[in-house]
This record gives sequence, structure tokens and C-alpha cells, in this order.
Amino acid sequence: MTTKHTDHLLISQVSIDFPTPQGPFRALDKVDLRIEKGEFVSIIGHSGCGKSTVLNIVAGLYQATEGGVILDGREVNEPGPERAVVFQNHSLLPWLTAYENVELAVKQVFKGKKSKAEMREWIEHNLTLVHMDHAMHKRPDEISGGMKQRVGIARALAMQPQVLLLDEPFGALDALTRAHLQDSMMEIQATLGNTVIMITHDVDEAVLLSDRIVMMSNGPAASVGDIVQVNLPRPRNRVAMAESVEYMRCRKAVLSFLYERHGRKTVSVSVEDEEVQPARDNIVTLKPSTAKAA
Amino acid sequence: MSNTHATERRAFLKKATLALALTLSMGTGLLSTNAHAEIGKPEKADLKLGFIKLTDMAPLAIAYEKGFFEDEGLFVKLEAQANWKVLLDGVVDGQLDGAHMLAGQPLAATIGFGTKVDIITPFSMDLNGNGITVSNAVWEKMKPHLEMKDGKPVHPIKADALKAVVEEYKKEGKPFNMGMVFPVSTHNYELRYWLAAGGLNPGTYAPGKDDIKGQIGADVMLSVTPPPQMPATMEAGTIDGYCVGEPWNQQAVAKGIGVPVITDYEIWKNNPEKVFGITKAFAEKNPNTTARLVKALIRAAYWLDENNNANRKEAVEILSKPEYVGADKAVLENSMIGTFEYEKGDKREVPDFNVFFRYNATYPYYSDAVWYLTQMRRWGQIGEPKDDKWFDETAKKVYRPDIFKIAAEALIADGKMKKEDFPDFGAESGYKPATSDFIDGTSYDGKKPNEYIEQFKIGLKKDDKV
Amino acid sequence: MNTKQLFQTLVAPFLGILLFLAIWQIGAPKIVTSLGAVPGPVQVFEQFTGLIDEHQAARQKEVEFYQRQEERNATALAEDPNAEVSIRPYTGKATFFDQIVTSIVTVMTGFVLAGFIAIPLGIVAGLSQTVYAALNPLIQLFKPVSPLAWLPIVTMIVSAVYVSDDPTFDKSFINSALTVLLCCLWPTIINTTVGVANISKDLQNVSKVLRLSWWTHVRKIVLPSAIPMIFTGLRLSLGIAWMVLIAAEMLAQNPGLGKFVWDEFQNGSSNSLGRIMVAVIVIGLIGFALDRGMLLLQRQVSWDKSAALR
Repeated sequence: MTTKHTDHLLISQVSIDFPTPQGPFRALDKVDLRIEKGEFVSIIGHSGCGKSTVLNIVAGLYQATEGGVILDGREVNEPGPERAVVFQNHSLLPWLTAYENVELAVKQVFKGKKSKAEMREWIEHNLTLVHMDHAMHKRPDEISGGMKQRVGIARALAMQPQVLLLDEPFGALDALTRAHLQDSMMEIQATLGNTVIMITHDVDEAVLLSDRIVMMSNGPAASVGDIVQVNLPRPRNRVAMAESVEYMRCRKAVLSFLYERHGRKTVSVSVEDEEVQPARDNIVTLKPSTAKAA
Repeated sequence: MSNTHATERRAFLKKATLALALTLSMGTGLLSTNAHAEIGKPEKADLKLGFIKLTDMAPLAIAYEKGFFEDEGLFVKLEAQANWKVLLDGVVDGQLDGAHMLAGQPLAATIGFGTKVDIITPFSMDLNGNGITVSNAVWEKMKPHLEMKDGKPVHPIKADALKAVVEEYKKEGKPFNMGMVFPVSTHNYELRYWLAAGGLNPGTYAPGKDDIKGQIGADVMLSVTPPPQMPATMEAGTIDGYCVGEPWNQQAVAKGIGVPVITDYEIWKNNPEKVFGITKAFAEKNPNTTARLVKALIRAAYWLDENNNANRKEAVEILSKPEYVGADKAVLENSMIGTFEYEKGDKREVPDFNVFFRYNATYPYYSDAVWYLTQMRRWGQIGEPKDDKWFDETAKKVYRPDIFKIAAEALIADGKMKKEDFPDFGAESGYKPATSDFIDGTSYDGKKPNEYIEQFKIGLKKDDKV
Repeated sequence: MNTKQLFQTLVAPFLGILLFLAIWQIGAPKIVTSLGAVPGPVQVFEQFTGLIDEHQAARQKEVEFYQRQEERNATALAEDPNAEVSIRPYTGKATFFDQIVTSIVTVMTGFVLAGFIAIPLGIVAGLSQTVYAALNPLIQLFKPVSPLAWLPIVTMIVSAVYVSDDPTFDKSFINSALTVLLCCLWPTIINTTVGVANISKDLQNVSKVLRLSWWTHVRKIVLPSAIPMIFTGLRLSLGIAWMVLIAAEMLAQNPGLGKFVWDEFQNGSSNSLGRIMVAVIVIGLIGFALDRGMLLLQRQVSWDKSAALR
């Protein structure tokens, strides 16, 4: 609920080239984005447009070829716990329990700052926040996909990040679970007020969760195509929202960007195309309002 | 401690014994007897000795089983070795402290034919004990050429009978192959002696030209096979016959795969055979241990021949254990109790087939060493001409009756043995009198090796080079 | 368990063994070697009991050996109270069962040492492309070398380098263990490298985001995720180690089961074939047991209990 306009996170003129046998492939071209503290920003776009690449650059996992990312006045060029990532497929260490997975992160971030008891309390607190307190000592292979993703979020939150980066966090989940997690996410964000960048495929998810929706143009040389400001009051209720005019407007704006102005021309398979996952493509194409299938 | 004293005394005595060999002095003899009466504590008490699975390793097994080693304060482990090369390497690199060796091995090692290292032999393990066996097929072909009496062939069989067979092989373009156990083995020299005496050339070596197969100009191709594998190798047809120690000739009879044609007793009566070998360095570092080892071995050899071979049955019992020779008792008994089975059913008395103590079998005679050196020269393993002095010096470097004497005198002092059991140390020159107990009647005098070599029709002459 | 399962898990293996024994018992006497007819299972079992008797006899001899020493020492002390006396280790022959113990100790020594070298090396090679590139040609070169080719080199080097008046270990033991080590390094290195190199990108990213130190990264991420592959390598290595050891013992006459087989072959007595067959069966059983042992260990340390391990 910040009103002050500060450049909390600045993505400035970011371009990235990936080497290919045919020479460098420009995946992103001059991506520009300013994000305020506490803002929830979604990035949406077709598969292969480089949404995840943007996130990875912010996370510090990729280095921009040109331009850069500035967080609170300091340039980002390597990964760090102040920009916690929730990965597409939970990425929990399968040999550790939910508790131990969070513990690994907590120990790393709060070593010397929290006592053992404090850490323990903090880990349990975060797991409770994502409603995982009942299965703290289970291994990832003993819990469901949604639960795994909750643990993944708890792990990220437990790092007390300045920016929370969500890379299609709910993409692999069934619709019901997804809805539950989206609600949880809104609840958490309301409590903690984190700055969040979320990559998504799902138009409804973007509108429901975001303050702003950044729509990426298609690659190669993808860039920010347009931005939709979502002026819906919080807390938001998904059922009530469905009839809201603003909701419909935002939804339409995004859909028309995606399917009319930037309908997929070709399936671009670049070296970095990590989004070739049919399950997620289906989510988009199955939308009733889809005019033209990709 | 008294060790330094003992060493000094021994150093002096070594010289004294050498002098003694030439000039005999009763006085020195007495002095040494007194001085040797006590041998100090062994410098090294835990020993590992190697052997090859042959009946002539018996002194080692007996010294162990009868506690003779323990009586000397020695704790000996006996280990069977795969072949003579592995055994020699074991002694050279110290894995083995000593071993049952072919008489030629310490000599060859000292003169540098093969591995060059100083090995000495203070104890001779036995006389005789080898035989030459041919496959059944060869035997059938030899038979028509043999002199028969009462339906049995007359022994000794000379290689002349084999000559026709070899000729036949030659005509068919087939090589006639025979096995022996090692290039410097008694077996190699005995087999060569027997073949050459029958007019068959066993071929010569040429180490200078890197020819170490020993088949130059050969009528019969000789090659190396480890003793225990001889019967199997002949059975497989790789060789047509072999010369080996017991029980591997009797094994061929037992298995029905071949027929022994001659024993080495008939090639050279009471020929020296295996020796006990240790490195010179070991003997110098551990003089007490060395002397004590020899003591134990002398007692074992004595036990083996005692009361006219009375203990031989028990010896067979011991040798048949898998950790020693391991062959079946019936096979071992043949040679050990003084009989030898030629053709199946043709069992003959050979009371001196295996001699361990009689005829001073344990004493390391220089003349025995010289005989081996003459054979190495005759077959080209020694490529350069050598004068008689060299033969004598080399023999004295390797054969060490001085150590034997210390051990023997200690045994006499202990009351375990009598003076009469040994050669008269005061009078012994280390050279046996000239003998012509060979199958071809050639006379051998250890003091005149070059003259001896000159007598042979086949083989290198004293001035030949290879 | 239904009937079919019961048949497959219990009855079928039993029938297989029974059939094998029957063929063996009927067929063996028909093959007559120069050492007599090939022994059937019954005769081989007799040899086995014979070996047990021999072992017990040897133990009895050992007791007597120590008794004799004590008596000798007592006499020595009675004569001279200041005499230095000591009890020496038993010098008698190693029985079949002693040889089994020797072989197992040797193989485990070589194998464990190889593991200590191969796993860290494999991890480093898996993590660093450069190290891998440097190591790979060597691995490819040495991997196919037969133990029998290593043996002479190992023997020569050990006898040159390992010089001591009072060696803690026998040279023969070191030779065998080193030969085993050299031959069983490679599968573990290769499999560890592959296991480490194939750690999921996601987990690597997690490690990066958490800024785990190199050591924590290896401990928390690399090792656990490479464990299955490491164990695959270790099991291959142990299998090779056991085969290599027997061969090395036969060739170098180093104590162990290989030497037992060779000695029996050389003995050429009427019992030899049967005894060799006992040894062959025991070698097989131990090899099998070693593999099962590794499997149990893998189950113990692996996080993925559900994975099918065979």
C-alpha cells in the first residue's frame, strides 16, 4: 500500500544475447521496467518470449548483455537471498524434509543473526504462513504438488527477501490447488507487503494478483509490449471479482494484447526456450475467449 | 652385547676358513670348534621362506613340522611360489628371506645371467630326484629302438633311442618340443646332457645377441614350464616330454599320460640338485639367523635319511598336505621311499633316487657349482670364454661351506649330531675328486673346467664366443 | 502373496538350483580328467567339510604352537631370569577360511581407498568442466587396462618404494590392494562425475540463490543428488575389485583365495578339483554378498527409499 513513487527496483534497458552456432541470438531487447516497493507485478507473454529470462536476470542467475538491474540503488549481478526465487517446479531438495528445506535457507541467511531457537521459530512461522505446519517433517516425495510449492514459497519467504520472484509458481498445479495457492499468496502479500514479480501464463491469475501486468512482445528480441494497471481494491475476492468491470477490462486488455496484437507468429525455439511445456500452453489455449489458437 | 663379539669372531673365522681350505691346520680347526659352539640370538626371528611344490623341498617342510626351526628360535612361514622366476624375485626384493632354489639360480644371479644380484647358498638341499618323461605317443615310437630283457626295457635308456623319433618329426616338418623348468635349472642341464650324449643337439643360448630361448641349432626345442604344470602341458600336446623333479614324473605315470625314460641318477650318479638360497646381504646382516637356518635344515635332511630312510613314510604324509607338495600320497611314495615306476607296472628299486643327507648331500661343494658353470658355458649362457680361475672364484663367491661349517659345528657342540656325520672340515677342499659317473662316461674334475668342456662333441668349446 | 508370486520368488529359483545340481551330478562323472572324474556336488560338499576339518586341525596346531613357545620361554627364564622372551605370531599355513578373510580384507582395503580417491575426484570433475577435460583422457586410457598388466608395475614400484625393516603391512598385501585400487577407481570416478554433472539445474539455481558456499553446496546439494550414481559406480567397482583380486592373487601368489585355487591346481591331487570348485562357489557367494552389502548400504544412505534397487 505504498503511495510514494520510488525506484525500488529498476530494470533498465536490459538486453540479452545467447550464443548459438549461428551467432548470438538476441532474446531480450531493451527491456525497461520500474517497480515500486511492495508492488505486485506480473509478466505475461507467449511461450518463448523471454519472460523467465527477465526473471532470471533480476534473480542474478543470468547476466544481461546490455543494461542492468538496480535494486535499491545497487546493481544486481549475482544471485542473492534478498531476491528469493520460487521456481517453476518447487525445486525442493528431495532428500530434506519440508522443515529442513526451509532450514537450509534460514541458516544461510540468518547465520549469526538469529539464535537456534529463533531460527526454529522462524522456520515454523513461515511454514505456518503457507499452511504447511501439519506436514513440516515430510519429505517432498511424501506430499502433493501444491504442498511442495507451498514449501517452496515458505523457503523463499523465510529468506525475508526484498523482492520475491515467482517463476510460474502455480503453473504445474491443478485448477483447484492453484486457486488455493493464489489466495494464500494474496494473503501473504497483504501481510508482508513484499515486492513481487511473478511470471505467468494465466491471464486470470495475472489480473487477480497483480497491481500491474507487464505484457511482453514476442521474441526474438522481445521487449515490454504494454502495461496494464489493475485498479482493483484489495483484498480481492475471486468470485466477486468475476463480475467487476475493471476486472473484465484488464482481462480483455491482456487478451487482446496477447492474441490480437501479438498473436504468435511462429513457434520460436531458441536455446533458452524453457517454456516448451505443453501442459502450460494448454492453459492458455483452453480459455473460452481465445480467438485464435496459437 | 655379545653380538659384536660374535660378528668380529665370525669375520675372522671367515678368513680363517678360506685359508683353511688351502692349508690345513689342526689348531685352527680346534679353535673354530670352540668358538662356534654358541651362535648368538637370531637377528631376525620371523622369516618367510619360499618353495616350489616338489618333493625336494622336504627339508623345509620337515624342519618346520619337526620343530627344528623353532629349536633355533626361528619362526618360519613357508610359502609355495608359482614358478622359479616369481620365487627368485621374491628373494631379491625381500618378500622372501630365503628359498628352495635351483642350484643354477644363485650362480646365474651372481654372474648376472637374468636378474643380477648376489645370492649365496650355504646348504645343498638334495642329490638326484629328477627324471625325464616322454608322452605315450613318443614312448611307443621309442620302444622298437630299445634293448629289452625279460620283456622290460634295459635301463638306463639313452637318448639314441629318441633320435629316430626326432628324425621322424623333422621329416614331417614338426618341431620336437620338450619342457624343462627354468633356463638355469638342473633339469635344463640334465636334459641337455642326456640329449647331447645321445647325439641330439638341444641348442645354445646367445645372451649377447639377446637370444635367451636357447634354441640355436637345436634338434629338440626346449622351453620353460613350471614343474606342477608339466603333466598338464604335455597332456595338452604343447610338449612331447619333459625333465622335472618329483612328483611330476610319477604323476604322469599315475595319470597314464606319459612314461619316464630315465632318472637323473642314471645321467649323473648323485648329482647335486636343489640348494637353499639367500641373498648375500641377508647373510651379512643376519649371520646368526643364517647359521641357525642351516642348522635346522641340516637336522631336517638328516632326519629324512636317518636309519636308512626309515622316516620317509612319515615325510610322505607331511609332503602330501596341500600346503606343501599336495600331490596324492601314492604318487609321492614312489620316489620318496626309493622306488621309481617307469612304465605302468614297471616299478624298480632306486634307493638313492632322493638323497637328502647321505654322501654329504647337504655340503655345498665348490665342484658342484663349477659343474653348473661349465654347463652354462657349454650351452652359451656364459657367452665369453672364462679361465679356470674364474670358475673357482665364482663358485667360492656363491657356495659358502664356511657358513655350513659354523652350523654343523654348532650342531656337534649341541650334541645333536656327530662329527662323523660331516665331511672332515679340516681336510675338505670343497672339491670332490674327479668322477666319471655320467651316462656317457666323461670324466669331470671341478678343478679343470675348461678341459672338461673341451671333451664334448655337442655344445660350445672353451674358446667359442656367442 | 499370490500363487504366481510365490512360484516366482521361491519355487523357481529353487527349481533352477536343483536342476543345475542334477545336471552337474549326472554330467560330472562323465568327464574324466587326468586328476580323475570331475567331482559332482556331493563330492564337492565333502571337500568343503574336509576344508573345515583342516581348518580346525590348523587351529589346534596353532594352540600347540603357542604352548610350545610358552614352554620354551619358561625354560629360558628358568635358566636365565633376564632372558628376553617373546611370543611370536603363528607361522602355520593359512587355511581356506584364513584365505577368505585375507581376500575380503584386501579387497575392502583396495576398494575403500579407491572410494576415497575416486569420489572426491569424481565430484571435482563433475563440478568443473576444466578438471573433467583434463581427467577424461587419463580415465579413458587407464580404464580398460587389465589388472594383470598393472600387477608387475605395482610390484616393482612397491618393492622399490616401500622399504622398511619392520613393515606394518606385507608387501604382498600392498601389491594386491593397490592393484585392486587401480582397477576399481574408474567406474566410481566416471559414475560420480556423471552423477554430479547431471544435478538438476533447478537445484543448482537454489544453491546459487542461497549463495551456498562451495563446501555446503557439495555437502547439501551435490553429494545427496549424486548418491545413486556414486553407488552405481561403487557397486561396479566392488564387482571388478573382487574379480581383479582373485586374478592378482593367482598371478602374484599373494595370499588369498586366488592363491588357494592356484595352489590346489598345482597340487594336482585327487582332491584338487573338488577343492577348486569349493573355492569357485565361495568366490561367487562372497561376490554376491559384497554386492548385496553395497545395496544395503545404499538403501541406508540414499534418500530415495522408493527407488527400485537391484
